[in-house]
Amino acid sequence: MTRPFIGFGLGLRTEHYQHVIDEKPQVDWFEIISENYMVPGGKPLANLDKIRKDYPMVMHGVSMSIGSTDPINIAYLQKLKTLIERVEPLWISDHLCWTSVNHINSHDLLPLPYNEATINHIVDRIKQTQDVLGRQMLIENLSSYVTYNDSDMTEWEFINEISKRADCYILLDINNIFVSANNHHFEPEQYVKGIDSDRVMQFHLAGHSYNGDMIIDTHDHDVCDPVWNLYEVALGHFGAVSTMIERDDNIPPFEELRKELAIAEKIATKVLTPEQLNISENITLEGAA
Amino acid sequence: MSELRDLQRRFMGYLLKQSVAIIANVQSTPVLSAKDRLDIYASAYKLRLKEAITSDYGKVASYLGDDQFNQLMERYIEKHPSHTTNLRYFSVNLPELVRDEAPFNSLAELYELACIERAFADSFDAKCIHYATLAELSTLPEQAWETLQFNFQSSLQILWLEHNTFPIWKALSDDNIPPKSEKTTASAWVLWRGSDLISHYKVLSGAEAAVLGLALDGETFAVICEKLLVFFSEEETPMKAIGFLQSWITEEMLESFNW
Repeated sequence: MTRPFIGFGLGLRTEHYQHVIDEKPQVDWFEIISENYMVPGGKPLANLDKIRKDYPMVMHGVSMSIGSTDPINIAYLQKLKTLIERVEPLWISDHLCWTSVNHINSHDLLPLPYNEATINHIVDRIKQTQDVLGRQMLIENLSSYVTYNDSDMTEWEFINEISKRADCYILLDINNIFVSANNHHFEPEQYVKGIDSDRVMQFHLAGHSYNGDMIIDTHDHDVCDPVWNLYEVALGHFGAVSTMIERDDNIPPFEELRKELAIAEKIATKVLTPEQLNISENITLEGAA
Repeated sequence: MSELRDLQRRFMGYLLKQSVAIIANVQSTPVLSAKDRLDIYASAYKLRLKEAITSDYGKVASYLGDDQFNQLMERYIEKHPSHTTNLRYFSVNLPELVRDEAPFNSLAELYELACIERAFADSFDAKCIHYATLAELSTLPEQAWETLQFNFQSSLQILWLEHNTFPIWKALSDDNIPPKSEKTTASAWVLWRGSDLISHYKVLSGAEAAVLGLALDGETFAVICEKLLVFFSEEETPMKAIGFLQSWITEEMLESFNW
């Protein structure tokens, strides 16, 4: 398939609502955290509706728990579907992880063992989820801090196999690759070049923090130079991929984040041709599940 | 999937401090043991939940101080593992813990303060379909008044307080030193969100508290008028009833009418 390209976006955060509503800054699109708007009404949804009128959006979830061994949470998916109908996002994503078991939610993105049994489990759940939602979804690679004894393949082999069998797409987090490469001692470029290009729909960029020998995915700093370098490698390998910066803590003024996004645009302009960077029109991901 | 299920249960057991069995499933590195690696998740689990509680109960946090509020959060996290997919709703049971457990229940006003904060949070993102208008009231057919009932905004809540807790909450909101807690005559406060998306609150008179409570319970306008006879003369009652109804509309508490 020809990968749709929607340009360069930012995560929509409450701290920036008023600036975005008043100033309508130049950003190609916003990514929202789905759960922040899975509420009955009030300010969050009112602001969302206002901003949606002016910008394309994608939705990014943190609680689907696609890798859980609990039954699929249909009530959650119905709420997500209601939000999808409201926002009409270009696409939706969540993480390749589990967050809950025994109906207890960790509110964290917990890693899975990379093996055939887990692949079979998750492929089945993604297919069911896509059926309920009536559209394809993107799954995102994590930052992780543990390696299970039961893992017998690389993370990129794991994510490729799942996306192929479930017929879903990949949200490739470049920072997460860098973080996990440090924490698990592999080459980040090997990961990038090992990913099935046809499945990659979006990039995430973010900052991180050091905790001794481990890097923690904190989203509280600017994107660092090694991650920018890896982003350049990724663009060279995949071509144009819609890119956004996540910032969840220590959030700076909007214009600072916009300047950081301009770095991504500058790198893309250096690596890619103007034709590759043409914004796609009439994008729909649906019905393939 | 039993192996994956066992692994996930063990991992959750580690986060909840119930079991360390998951350590056997995780590889150590030359510089970090399996336990150290898992502790990154255990620390993040607690930190994230504490951030959520602090965000929801900032005034309780200020009132108690860091040490006691941390003790409260630790106890809440231990007693109430999250069963929600949305962190927004994780801390909804905190007021009841404050009310029921020592040492937190030694401060009687603390439960009320926590209730106020929960009420504001619930009001903030409550559903709103419509705001009833005086024009709609004026066009009600005459026969409607016999069975007239009221649908209030879902954001509207009545809090019965036995202390000067709202002044305490207000002082804390303004970053001022709160007044000393005092027991007062029980008073009803109503809190709701208007079309400006801002939560409003006011103390209710005894009469308005009584009839607003009845109206919220689905009683008819006729029953409300009857109740007002306890507070006012027969001559005053119709005007008082209409006055309350008009103020509920103009202050945007009312969503619609049933008859």
